[in-house]
Amino acid sequence: MSASTASVTSIRRRLLLFLLPPLTLLMLVGVFLNYRTATLFVRAAYDQKLADMARAYAAQTPLVTPAGILFSIATPGGQRTAGNARLPQAAAGSSLLSYGDASLDGHDLRLATYRTPTAVVTVAEYQESRPHLGRFILAGNWLVDFIQLDVTLLIAWIAVYFGLKPLIQVRRQIEARSARELRPLDATSVPTEVRPLVDALNLLFEMLTGAAQAQSRFVADTAHQLRTPIAGLLGSLQVLMREPAAAPLQSRLTLLYEGVATLSHSANQLLALARADSATSLTDGFRRTDLKTVVERIVERNVDRAVECGLDLGAECSPASVNANARLLDDLLGNLMDNAFKYTPSGGRVTVRCGYEASHPYLEVEDDGPGIPEAQRPRVLERFYRIPGSPASGCGLGLAIVDEIARQHDARLSIEAGAEGRGTRIRVLFNHSTAETHVAD
Amino acid sequence: MRILVVEDDFLVADAIRRGLCMSGFAVDCASDAEAAAAALAAEHFDLALLDIALPGADGLTFLRRLRNAGTHLPVMILTARETLATKVQALDLGADDFLVKPFEQTELAARCRALIRRSNLKSSGQLTLGKLRIDITGRQLYVNSEPVELTNREWLIVECLALNAGRIVTKERLQQAVASWDQAITPNAVEVHVSRVRAKLGDSVVLRAVRGLGYRLDEPR
Repeated sequence: MSASTASVTSIRRRLLLFLLPPLTLLMLVGVFLNYRTATLFVRAAYDQKLADMARAYAAQTPLVTPAGILFSIATPGGQRTAGNARLPQAAAGSSLLSYGDASLDGHDLRLATYRTPTAVVTVAEYQESRPHLGRFILAGNWLVDFIQLDVTLLIAWIAVYFGLKPLIQVRRQIEARSARELRPLDATSVPTEVRPLVDALNLLFEMLTGAAQAQSRFVADTAHQLRTPIAGLLGSLQVLMREPAAAPLQSRLTLLYEGVATLSHSANQLLALARADSATSLTDGFRRTDLKTVVERIVERNVDRAVECGLDLGAECSPASVNANARLLDDLLGNLMDNAFKYTPSGGRVTVRCGYEASHPYLEVEDDGPGIPEAQRPRVLERFYRIPGSPASGCGLGLAIVDEIARQHDARLSIEAGAEGRGTRIRVLFNHSTAETHVAD
Repeated sequence: MRILVVEDDFLVADAIRRGLCMSGFAVDCASDAEAAAAALAAEHFDLALLDIALPGADGLTFLRRLRNAGTHLPVMILTARETLATKVQALDLGADDFLVKPFEQTELAARCRALIRRSNLKSSGQLTLGKLRIDITGRQLYVNSEPVELTNREWLIVECLALNAGRIVTKERLQQAVASWDQAITPNAVEVHVSRVRAKLGDSVVLRAVRGLGYRLDEPR
């Protein structure tokens, strides 16, 4: 999860790093052009003031010369009549009024010279006495452009978040899945840019589903193919064992029968595992299932066997229901019963329970047999694992099937000692929040 | 009681035939639908065991033909394929039971007896279970052909258990069956009535208590 988060922010970072240099350059150019334009306008405004003063002198309007302003009036011939004698004139231009720059006693001056047919009036202003409006404008420009840049980057940052949202949604869809859930992702609300990714993922899911189904189908077909000959063998052996003529061969027939019975059991277990494994079973046949009915069905199926094994089989049911595949729950409970029967000696007690524990529905089988040593408990869920030295026959798939089915139902399997520390209690606790059905029951 | 086994696998057919013969049934075998149709046309059978995967017309097609012709013969489907869809389809087509291969001979025989019992009940209104004969219409119980007197509640319990013979009848169900007669009844009272029934039935049948669930009435093995 953290890896995918990092890759998401790195797309964002890359985008920001890519945007930053051109945006900064753009900002610099903008500031420069703004500054240039602003200073030109400011100078034009001050020049206009000088020009007005020059015209006023030329019209011989009596004037109080303001501080920082110098003037000189001369004849067109060059003879000075009034003002500062050392003040230079601006070069003559195309119009009557011309501007120029000069320096006097180490001070920079701005000149405006107005030429009439009778007089040449020059008005000058110390540059330093002009307020530095350009600098204020420059600072203002900087500030505005800098804020603009930041806002742009922030918007980009937020836009990337919203832009990447479809990707994050796809990620969430995948994260919410169990390992065996291979349904195609929903591509309807996905934007065009993300669609190729979703399509590629869906193609992968499809291939995986195909492979998983082919495998399950192969196992199921094989197991089915085995069933008819096994039925023939088992039936014939059962009949043979009941014939009076078979008495001398009884022990050998029993051995043979037990072998075929184990073979039959293995074929059934493989089939159950294929059923539990098949990806399609996830969507097929999941409906609200009454656990009490499941328990009753399994107990009913095993009453005769319990009598044969000399076991006291019973049920303790509280009403409970869960969204489940009833066929898989039969397999699950059947396997737990098988184990209990196999390992509990004659005279023992096997109890199947269902109900709610803190509003989570559960199924449970408890026996008072030898129990599973604590160190072995995690290992018994492995496929084909059998506890060393265990007496009963079996193929070691039972609890693996139970575990797989529990996982498909989002249920947790717990193996504990039974009442008073004796025997085994295996509980399947469903994770579903079933408060509402609890009330309904 | 005569049973027709329609099964193409020789070993399976032979095992079923021999096993059911030992359990006291008369058995004939047919290896495909045509042979089965011929056998059914020629003789009377009480039950047919039908494999689905038959050469030519399969078991379900044969069953459809049978029901379309209006035959009420009880049919049990035997199959190696136990998908829910197949089972639903078979029961929809009018199969009375569905047994998955491989199976125990005792289980097969018990189911055959149950099916024949049910079909007899329909035709005669009587139920035979081991040494028990229950005249449902006449409300009379016979043990070893001797009439046995029962109270109303005992009769309701026997009737409910016998109609569901071979299956667990929950205590709640017995309670309902009995309570509907007059007033409410406690679970303890149900137990008392059941133990009285048990005494009256003796060893003519097996009445088994299943801890935490209820009772099951069976023929003695």
